[in-house]
Amino acid sequence: MHRRHLLANGIIAILLVVVFGGLCTTVFALLGAQTDWSKAWEYRETLWRGWLMTLGISIAALIGSIFCGLLFMLGQRSPWVVVRWTCRAFLEFVRDTPLLVHLLFGYFVIFAPLMARPLGEHGFDDKLIIGILLLSVFEGAYLGEILRGGVDSIPRTQWESARAVGFSRVQVYRYVIFPQALRRVLPAMAGLFVSLIKDSSLLNVIGVAEYFYNTKNFISRSYAGLEGYVPLAVGYLLLTLPVAWLAHWLETRFRHET
Amino acid sequence: MKLEVTGLIKCYGKTRAADGLSLFVEAARVLVLIGPSGGGKSTLLRMLGGLEVPDEGSVVINGRRLGVDEQALQAYRRRNGFLFQQFNLFPHLTARRNIELPLEKVHGHPPAEATEMATQALARFSLLDHADKLPAQLSGGQQQRVGIARAVARKPEVLFLDEPTSALDPEMTAEVLELIQELAEAGQDIILSTHEMGFARAVADQVAFVAGGKIEEMGPPADLFGASRSPLCQRFLSRVMRY
Repeated sequence: MHRRHLLANGIIAILLVVVFGGLCTTVFALLGAQTDWSKAWEYRETLWRGWLMTLGISIAALIGSIFCGLLFMLGQRSPWVVVRWTCRAFLEFVRDTPLLVHLLFGYFVIFAPLMARPLGEHGFDDKLIIGILLLSVFEGAYLGEILRGGVDSIPRTQWESARAVGFSRVQVYRYVIFPQALRRVLPAMAGLFVSLIKDSSLLNVIGVAEYFYNTKNFISRSYAGLEGYVPLAVGYLLLTLPVAWLAHWLETRFRHET
Repeated sequence: MKLEVTGLIKCYGKTRAADGLSLFVEAARVLVLIGPSGGGKSTLLRMLGGLEVPDEGSVVINGRRLGVDEQALQAYRRRNGFLFQQFNLFPHLTARRNIELPLEKVHGHPPAEATEMATQALARFSLLDHADKLPAQLSGGQQQRVGIARAVARKPEVLFLDEPTSALDPEMTAEVLELIQELAEAGQDIILSTHEMGFARAVADQVAFVAGGKIEEMGPPADLFGASRSPLCQRFLSRVMRY
């Protein structure tokens, strides 16, 4: 049995390598003549600046989305019905429409007429700030739902025990509910943060000079192919893989039996 | 402890968990609530403990009337201790931390002092060996004992215990009941609900039979268990004492 397993594994591995290798060779053979890596090197500075911009947007929107997510989560647990329903309706709207639409509509129709000039006059990049804001709200809507699920999953007795030992409303969340809920939703949150990094590429539609935007410009100017898209993929992997690993590590670190 | 409860009403939807319940205890150290499940024991205990607000009626404990706003209730809960059937401990904290955290954050003791108090509480119930274990690593009986240690770490005025042994096997039940008896003998005021009739008889100063959201009968254990007057109580006792 053990032997057959090994054999099967080996065969599958070889097959996969052959198929993948074959595909790569074909693609490279087709494009090989036109692939010129020096083009990418020429544009390294714009690419680097774009990558840094994507990193900055991701960090800012990550913080922003945590803030929005907490707000949406608490809003849905509010004692006032009006707040709960408004929150619910807003979340449903945000989650059921594409981010692309939020960005285009939000920037060109809502925020730009209001804020572009005042922000620009104070030396801020209005596109960047509005883009981060819209991205934060969008991802925050998802995070709000994840957090709500986590908080709702904590059994009633925990709330009661926390109240019984005399914790205030805020302390109940701070010391009892959140520490337990966060552990439960950590994998979902990590997935969301990876999505957030990737979604930041959509900010190119409102003209934010992030990694995708700069790469796209470089490709259209230099007629690059592989030498443009390979660094693009690798650049995003460099941002997303650490997040995934960190989440995995935290998950094993904080796993406790319940 | 002196207790005056007048006309308590509490509804959950259409069920009346307390239906005009009144109860007067002039002086008792340990008050035990017995009665059928769903008869209103838990609801009464939760209202006495300040975890639930009655729809109508009033509770006066030791001459002080129980408030109805959240702030007054929180202050009240901080003076007392409350233990549920199970899952009292916070599963992400060690036994020691479970005791320390409320001392620090609720009562404002500095960390060193909280640690010292937690050590004392753990030592008192011989739980020091388990101080650094998570609740999931403790047996049900040990968990309840840590729960009690947490509840009495700051000498509560009244200790409320809601069926503290219902989720335990007979051996663990015994270990928890012994501890409660010890506390009672040390002078702790206790109000508890239980299905352990032998224990109720041994430890109670007053026993109240709760059924249908009312106090059907109340008296010293010898009277209530020996010669109960209410037919409901007689039937209940004859059923639970049969085996």
